[in-house]
Amino acid sequence: MKASALAIARHLALVLVATILLLPVYWLIMSAFRPADDIFRYAGEFGLATLLPRRLTLENFHQIFAGTFPRALFNSLFVCTATVTLGVLVNSMAGFAFAVFDFPFRRALFIIVLLSFMMPFESIVIPLYTLVRTLHWTDTYAALILPEVAGGLIIFLFRQFFAGIPREIYEAARVDGASWWQIYWQMTLPLSGPTIATASLMMFIHQWDAFFWPLVATSSADLAVVQVAIARNMTLEQANWGALFASASTAVIVAAVPFFILQRSYVRVVAVQADK
Amino acid sequence: MALSRRRLIRSSAASALALAMPHVARAAETTLKVVWMGWPDNQVLPLMAEFEKRNPAIKLAVERMPFTQVFQALEVRLNARTSDPDVYIVDSPLTASYAARGHLMELDALIDQSRFAPSAISAASYDGKIYSAPFGTSMQVLYFNRALFKAAGVEPPSSAIAGRWTWEQVLDAGRRIAKPAENLWGFTFEQQERPYQLLPLGQSLGGVALSPDGFKATGFIDGPAFVEGFSFMQKLYTEAKISPPGQFDTALTPELFGSGKCAMLLGGTFINDTLRAKFAELDFGVAPHPYFAKGKPVTPTGAWHFGVNPRSTRKEAVAQFVRDMLSDDINVLWFKLRPYVPTLNAVWQREAATFSTDMWRIVQAEMQSTALARPATPGFREYEDILRVTLRDMQAGGNVKDMLAAAAQKIDREIAKYKG
Amino acid sequence: MHARRWIPYAFLAPAFIGLVIFRFTPICLALSGSFFGQSIRGASIFVGLKNYAELIGDPSFWSTVSTTLIFNLIINPFQVVCALALAMLVRRPTKLVDVFRAAFLLPMTVSIALTSILWSILLDPTLGPVNGFLRFAGLPPQPFFRSAGEALPTLILVATWKGAGYWMVFLLAGLLAIPKELDESASIDGANAWQRFFGVTLPLMRRPLAFVLVADTAANFLLFAPVYIVTNGGPNDATHLLMFEAYQSAFAFLNQGRSLAISTIILVIILAIALVELRLFRSDDGSAA
Repeated sequence: MKASALAIARHLALVLVATILLLPVYWLIMSAFRPADDIFRYAGEFGLATLLPRRLTLENFHQIFAGTFPRALFNSLFVCTATVTLGVLVNSMAGFAFAVFDFPFRRALFIIVLLSFMMPFESIVIPLYTLVRTLHWTDTYAALILPEVAGGLIIFLFRQFFAGIPREIYEAARVDGASWWQIYWQMTLPLSGPTIATASLMMFIHQWDAFFWPLVATSSADLAVVQVAIARNMTLEQANWGALFASASTAVIVAAVPFFILQRSYVRVVAVQADK
Repeated sequence: MALSRRRLIRSSAASALALAMPHVARAAETTLKVVWMGWPDNQVLPLMAEFEKRNPAIKLAVERMPFTQVFQALEVRLNARTSDPDVYIVDSPLTASYAARGHLMELDALIDQSRFAPSAISAASYDGKIYSAPFGTSMQVLYFNRALFKAAGVEPPSSAIAGRWTWEQVLDAGRRIAKPAENLWGFTFEQQERPYQLLPLGQSLGGVALSPDGFKATGFIDGPAFVEGFSFMQKLYTEAKISPPGQFDTALTPELFGSGKCAMLLGGTFINDTLRAKFAELDFGVAPHPYFAKGKPVTPTGAWHFGVNPRSTRKEAVAQFVRDMLSDDINVLWFKLRPYVPTLNAVWQREAATFSTDMWRIVQAEMQSTALARPATPGFREYEDILRVTLRDMQAGGNVKDMLAAAAQKIDREIAKYKG
Repeated sequence: MHARRWIPYAFLAPAFIGLVIFRFTPICLALSGSFFGQSIRGASIFVGLKNYAELIGDPSFWSTVSTTLIFNLIINPFQVVCALALAMLVRRPTKLVDVFRAAFLLPMTVSIALTSILWSILLDPTLGPVNGFLRFAGLPPQPFFRSAGEALPTLILVATWKGAGYWMVFLLAGLLAIPKELDESASIDGANAWQRFFGVTLPLMRRPLAFVLVADTAANFLLFAPVYIVTNGGPNDATHLLMFEAYQSAFAFLNQGRSLAISTIILVIILAIALVELRLFRSDDGSAA
């Protein structure tokens, strides 16, 4: 009896939370399918019209896809993928070092790692811009990708996970003559599916949300990223609400895809692991 | 001695090359880096294409930055003190700030002042010299919803300048129309918190917003005229409740008016187009900016200029850009693409047909007699940001005089750094 | 573990090259910049501790610090608890659990700037659907972001709306790594749900919880977009957080030195709190910190 009451409570809680989390996103996406003058018409009162559009249209999407938005989507996807690929490798290596070895200055170096994500970005943007200029990287993909590859938070994440792997496994492998690189590559990484997935999601979302740095570091329209393209729909005198919502919705939907893919794969991996 | 054919060919090739050389040298391209406002593609690209057509040797690398972060991104770029960008968009009241910090080149040699509206030239000047090029200005008019007025049995304002309403009349009409409990409002400003919109309240009563030298706010912004003007504004939200509080998104207030939830909107000329495009069935009219009965009419103005980076290495191309962008033809094209109130007198003359509507007639009259640019000071960003927060907070109540005095002190403290 | 001297550094090298060039160097420049002022023509002038002295002597700075500390004292535990609750809700594989997990993740895909714009519209006192719903339900419409009393709680809730799913991901990974047998044997031993949670689950969640708490602390101290986009620090400084003050000092008041001093103070506070949090979560072998 108690078990089923608990199950019902659990289901109720799930539905309630899902509603609170999903409704705003639904409103955003649904508004993109409305003609521009309908978006706010029904907002002040509450009724069926608030949640279900009276008139549906694709004109907002036509508008943004006819312009430079697709290029911005491509740019962001490219930058995100490159950052994630390089970042998983580079940061997991560092996390491995912190978790597995004892070496001089380990504590101090770890504090440097922590510090690197605790400084407000606005305070380092000017020296960073000057540095990127000196490297002649302004207006290149390199400026968008490379500064974001090494991340203190991701190193910290990998280190937390790797620290939980029993040392005995490594000792056995060392006895068998394995090099540390082989241990890292062939033993530790394969065990880290969920962590790699979460690290990838974090880096992806961080680059997908990037706005101020791309604005400062790149100028040409060919390198515009998705958040900048969305923000351009707001000018002082008018806001193109239709295009704003359409581009924002597209960005949300596109970003959701890697999430769902990664989410299902890591659950499967972990479920397999836990049953071992 | 006959010239061998080979020699003939060689020498004619050489002379042909010699003739061609100067052309080749002249045709070498310069690229100008331009940071522009993130206006829609179809409003910026034709303009830049027109310039490139007239100047085949100059290419424009145009970067359109979103309004929400253009100033901040520009600060990062300019702070690096490089030759990049060559030309950039300047919000007119920031001219003094950029000039004082060495980010703008003097343009007196390139600009013929007599071609422009006086308020535009004064907004472009700092320390007696012109530092930015006027490229468009603004004006505010009173939009009113005829249907709501009719339903409440209230006589709407007239479109004639001579029939200009007083603020007292606005308050009275608003009271009779508004039903806050039903989400129906009487009046709203387009920009509820910005000094641009609200300074005219105090200026209408004779107030001066900042000392003439641009360095002192105490004794000016907290003087009796502004205390009275802003107290009136406060009343709209607190006592009379004819204005919806908390509407700080300037893109939402036109939606409020367009969807029939507010009877009067004091806003810019672009709202006219927005209303016609999005709210076709709305029956609205346009009237002049209100004033205080015991004072004089004052309207806000000023908008977009552009400026030249003094560190630019392409001085000739830049000079050409300034000259061409300020030419009659290109300004008319710009007006057709995005109808800012023209700063160039020639545009008023050439497009006279467009300016025969109610709204444009009001705008033209105001530009000539009541338009007042924002105070010129190198510390305009500081001034505006501090005052903005204060104006926002006033909506909820509070002693207006004390709030203004505190803001004035803070402004003085921040502006002081420009004196040395 | 035993290894040749250079091996650990070899693993660290690629990441550290990146961190040193793109983070550490600018951070050091920023830290040292806090000891300088700028003339209006851009020349740097050494002013020693003047920026810090001015901050310490400024009562509005202290009220900003206290607002920030109160904000963080509430939001950090609140978000971690919410994330843990969400993770517990979707831990057990039931039908549709995939759908719910995905649903909880969706707010992550909306950037913080868009989240701020979206919620500022949803909670708008006049045009917002939330107030529309309240009016429909016969309840009084709320000012939310526009009232000094409600602004900070609203900010906490909106930030949590976006963040709970994000942090849930890490905690869920941690929960799913706990072998089922431990829980089952505890329940055979007679432990009820609460005892299993505190006795079995939580201790095994030490590392993920430590990570989430530290990362969340940093994220919340650095929270900026909603304040900039929606409240501008108000109403009446109710949401005037340190990060916003640092930003304003740099970009509105063009006082780089002051902004960098505030950023340095933020950095020190975050680091101090993070070290405390890591120590709290240290497991017996001292390996959380």
